Amino acid sequence: MMAAMIRALTCWSVLCIVPGLCAQDDGSHFFEEEIRPLLLAKCQSCHNDTVASGGLAMTSREAMLRGGGRGPSVVPGSPSDSVLVAAVEQSGALKMPPTGPLPASEVEALRTWVRSGAAWGQPAGDPQAAEALWSFKPVIRREPPPVRDSDWVRNPIDAFILQRLEAESLAPSPEADRRTLIRRASLDLTGLLPTPEEVRVFVEDTDPGAYARLVERLLESPHYGERWGRHWLDIARYADTNGYSIDGPRSIWPYRDWVIDAFNDNLPFDQFVIEQVAGDLLPDPTQDQLIATGFHRNTMINQEGGTDFEQYRVEAVVDRVRTTGAAFLGLTLGCARCHDHKFDPISQREFYKFFAFFNNIDEIGGNLEEREGRSRMMHPILELAEPAALAERDSVRAELDRLEAELKALSASLEATWDERFPPGEIEDIERARDIIAVNAKDRTSVQDGVLDRSFNKNVPEFKAKKKEIGELSQKLPKIPWTMVMRDLPEPRGAYIHVQGDFTRRGEPVEPGTLRVLPAMRSDLPRNRLGLARWLVADDNPLTPRVTMNRLWQRYFGLGIVETENDFGTQGNPPSHPELLDWLASEFVRSGWDLKDMHRLILHSATYRQASTYRADAAGVDPSNRLLARQNRLRLEAEIIRDAALSASGLLAPAVGGPSVYPPQPEGAGQFTQVDRNWKADEGQDRFRRGMYTYFIRSAAHPGLVLFDAPIAQESVTRRNRSNTPLQALTLLNDESQTEFASALANRIRKHSSDREERIRRAFEICLARPPRQPEAERFAGFLSQMTDAFATDAEALSKTGADTARAAAWTAAARVMLNLDEFVTRQ
Amino acid sequence: MKLPTDLHTSVLKQRTRRQLFQDCGIGVGKLGLTSLFVGNSLYSKPAEKERGMHHSPRAKSIIYLFMAGAPSQFELFQPKPELQKLSGQPLPPSLLDGKRFAFMESFAKNPPKLLGTRRKFAQYGESGQWVSECLPHTAQIVDDVTFVRTVHTENFNHAPAKIFMNTGTPFFGRPSMGSWVSYGIGSEANDLPSFVVLQSGPRGPRGGAMNWTSGFLPTAHQGVPFLGGGAPILNMTSPAGFEAGRQAATVDAILDLNRLNMKSAGDPEIETRISAYEMAHRMQTSGPELIDFSTESQATLDLYGAKPGEKSFANNCLLARRLVERGVRFVQLYHSSWDHHGGPGESLDKDLDDVCLSADQACKALIMDLKQRGMLEDTLVVWGGEFGRTPMGEVRDTVGRNHHIDAFTMWFAGGGTKPGQNIGETDEIGFAAVKDPIHVRDVHATILHLLGIDHEKLTFRFRGRDFRLTDIGGNVIQPLLA
Repeated sequence: MMAAMIRALTCWSVLCIVPGLCAQDDGSHFFEEEIRPLLLAKCQSCHNDTVASGGLAMTSREAMLRGGGRGPSVVPGSPSDSVLVAAVEQSGALKMPPTGPLPASEVEALRTWVRSGAAWGQPAGDPQAAEALWSFKPVIRREPPPVRDSDWVRNPIDAFILQRLEAESLAPSPEADRRTLIRRASLDLTGLLPTPEEVRVFVEDTDPGAYARLVERLLESPHYGERWGRHWLDIARYADTNGYSIDGPRSIWPYRDWVIDAFNDNLPFDQFVIEQVAGDLLPDPTQDQLIATGFHRNTMINQEGGTDFEQYRVEAVVDRVRTTGAAFLGLTLGCARCHDHKFDPISQREFYKFFAFFNNIDEIGGNLEEREGRSRMMHPILELAEPAALAERDSVRAELDRLEAELKALSASLEATWDERFPPGEIEDIERARDIIAVNAKDRTSVQDGVLDRSFNKNVPEFKAKKKEIGELSQKLPKIPWTMVMRDLPEPRGAYIHVQGDFTRRGEPVEPGTLRVLPAMRSDLPRNRLGLARWLVADDNPLTPRVTMNRLWQRYFGLGIVETENDFGTQGNPPSHPELLDWLASEFVRSGWDLKDMHRLILHSATYRQASTYRADAAGVDPSNRLLARQNRLRLEAEIIRDAALSASGLLAPAVGGPSVYPPQPEGAGQFTQVDRNWKADEGQDRFRRGMYTYFIRSAAHPGLVLFDAPIAQESVTRRNRSNTPLQALTLLNDESQTEFASALANRIRKHSSDREERIRRAFEICLARPPRQPEAERFAGFLSQMTDAFATDAEALSKTGADTARAAAWTAAARVMLNLDEFVTRQ
Repeated sequence: MKLPTDLHTSVLKQRTRRQLFQDCGIGVGKLGLTSLFVGNSLYSKPAEKERGMHHSPRAKSIIYLFMAGAPSQFELFQPKPELQKLSGQPLPPSLLDGKRFAFMESFAKNPPKLLGTRRKFAQYGESGQWVSECLPHTAQIVDDVTFVRTVHTENFNHAPAKIFMNTGTPFFGRPSMGSWVSYGIGSEANDLPSFVVLQSGPRGPRGGAMNWTSGFLPTAHQGVPFLGGGAPILNMTSPAGFEAGRQAATVDAILDLNRLNMKSAGDPEIETRISAYEMAHRMQTSGPELIDFSTESQATLDLYGAKPGEKSFANNCLLARRLVERGVRFVQLYHSSWDHHGGPGESLDKDLDDVCLSADQACKALIMDLKQRGMLEDTLVVWGGEFGRTPMGEVRDTVGRNHHIDAFTMWFAGGGTKPGQNIGETDEIGFAAVKDPIHVRDVHATILHLLGIDHEKLTFRFRGRDFRLTDIGGNVIQPLLA
């Protein structure tokens, strides 16, 4: 008995998604492992909700307790009183199943199950407590609370913040100086440094509207869409390759550009959600709305040989469910893949109801390469070209079709005449070809087809020539840009519960549907992705606006009001300022889901505008600054470190969008994956594009990105680490790009003035938006002299730097120092 | 302190993580790690308290020889007389019931037939272990290793199975075992990462970075790929013209300016960055010495078959020993490719010979070298792939073998393991275990155990729950322990 239980638990671990939890057994695992499959295989074909033989359905605990014509099928705790047990023991008149007795082990398992209470995989947590959780309740807008220091309050945000501070007897920090403010706002909104001229204008503009004008200018910058689009791309798990083992290229950058444009155009957030989740299902969708559906095509594709297409198609559908949960609802839906959620009121059935929304995408298997070098596995796709370009391409395709038909005819004739051309002999591949020709063509495996093809190619010059012709013409096919999109099958695939999350074990069928714990989907909405999308942004959905506002807050302050931004369920942390979160959420919906309006609110608040200087008094009460008695200093994100250096150097190529680019990366960085992904660095403008345009290979991402905590796009990421490591230091010190940036920055400084003091001042103004303090200027000047001497006395070192003079090389050295400063890579 | 508890715990979590590890992601020096992590009342979160060692370790370091592509146990370690006898017979269909295989669609057209090996086997050592002619060097160390014959896993495609072997789950976003070890017990290395990845053979490991990702653990614990050739660590070399003294002066200037800013900003994160630059500079200085094989005797180089400057498994094995000598906790070597399906470049004849030739001698050398230096006692060496190969043949250009997950062979040496044994037994054709099946998570539990870690206690809270490397499985392989 115990052995069966232990075996059940061991096997259970195979597919359990929630390690560490399943060990707290409440009987539901035993049910899932031993009983549910047994009922499914041996009982439910006759005892289900449609056909209830003998009046008995065996599809739920309730139904079995109720029983059929013979009374309760199961009496929990009492096997001897349970009709079920008697039937499978075949001890009485009723003998089940009719096909013959069950193996003794299964009879024993059923007895154990009944004796232990006949659990049916219910959630372990208290469902009522879970449903009472704050995050599932409607958003309640409360008026901002009264505060003592009302002068400090610039907008309602500040009242909520100040009230908590005053309760702790903490005063807020003074406003940051204007130089810090403009650098902070520029980095937060565009990810680029302000120029010294922009800083000067802002510092000198004493008009009360100066800050508002700064904020508007930054919100109107095309770089705003890049900065905030990149945040979204973390959630969308965007990358330029397919993942898994081959990790071949895909084309989905038009989706990335759509995201940038959506932010720049301030597309209302509800529309932003609808177009990404279901743009293809809108009436007469525009090209942009189709491109937007790339959101859920950012799932990985396994191109490895010998895979079961269905397995990885299902993985992608599961990823869509998980991502939808994380991106909009802040819920860990993935936990309910194998069993009911252990903590939150989400059943396994509900998981598969959600799954059903995403299960109808017209994806096809077969890792066949098409002419344009793409695999069928990337379908459905959308080609982005004018009709004339498509027509030209189609004419080349027609010519290729003709040649391929000829090749096929040639193959057929070779097969027919193989024995004449090559009389039986000793040459292995010719003999293998002979064996394969003997097999009926439609019975050959793809491996055999490959062997035959190679043999023809090797032994028949005519065949080889035709192949070559086809290859050359293929090269002439015009390259039509394309992107991966969603498209539903005409007939839904149909969805089932996967027993224990195993797609090979079909449980009960399910229809698309949303979560019971949240307000129901309006009855007039279609039960498809479009209905789901509209439900996600329905006025009464309490999660989407809360989750979105929490994340907006997190970008500006380092942590969200709910610190566990990825878990608004029972295991998440409660909000530090619940009323503020609800106020923001309600304001967001009231504004018409206007993100720029919400940016303005935060940017204009006194809370945001505080200095970030460390405060020992506040740290004693609130060491991690959750109450925001000051702003937080935040290390810049991976891409923004590059962007800041690019803007400091003056090399930045400001173009927005387009195919991804190949900046330099350390030699050998691409070798640590199956297919060597080292690349030849771009020259010209593409060498100096923003970090977000770097071609992103999931299995071998640019080390400059990964070392600074960029996610590798395996799954949706809602918050990045901010680590601080020696390998980051090595990158900033020694990376080829960094040296290029330093050298350009040095030139920029030297061109500005010939006066050394003025140059030092300029270096600080460009990089830190402030002049040096006296001790800094002295230390910096000392370093410049030291380096000038060092290069003056070492001609060989000087020539290696590529600089003309010792002074020029010393300035490159000094620029390197600037680009490595903690303050440079930090938003203060 | 008037804040509600929820704020306090999150604060503590943040502080411990940031200050102790995220800070100095690379090692924490030769400090008494246990005293840092255990028994300090400040760190009240269970997940944090359980960091550090739970019992005295048998191994200080691990060298994991990952034979990428999945070596054939039938050609190397597992003579099966019954399989030889039945070679050419169709596999009893009952064995295929409910099983899934790679390339399974071909079974209908080419029903799989059992395949005996063409390799000759003999018994070696006092322990009388069977090893084939493919591995004459490994045959000489059998008394120092223990073979586990019955390892099984759950995924039959390369990349997902590699991720499974490394993270204990087929799901993405989970930390790899090296990251768990680094997170749990840090490193003794002062100027090297705690988790280093090396690679040799015709191609890199499938799945790439997913195999050594830190997942939801702090990024500082991710595996650091070291390159072959002159500069193992990316960006370890100063820019041209800025070497040596000039680099040192540059770092000094950066540190001084950071210290000046520390005075006005006051953020402890600046201190951390200062330490990171100091350590980076030490890494730069010690890096060239690390890969300078000229300090090795000719005898040692010959033992491994190492040739300075070459990118080879032999060089990587020698480098692994040098890394472990310097306190690196976890060195993982990927060597490709063992994927012998029978297609071009994947024959069980010449192509298997080639990869054996490239790996065999260095495996022996590593064990012998560690042993003669007294390092084998506390260095665990693990050898194995992501799964094994079928007892059935697979017909391609030649007859090879398909992927098989039910029973494959790994070997273990040193680090508190009991040598010269065979653990687990498979059936007469080697299809599945008949005694002592060993799950991948059992391997993980054992590795952690030998390093002084209780696999059930090393957890990390993410998205509201405590995760661990062994998920909810994992039993220490008791007979393997010395």
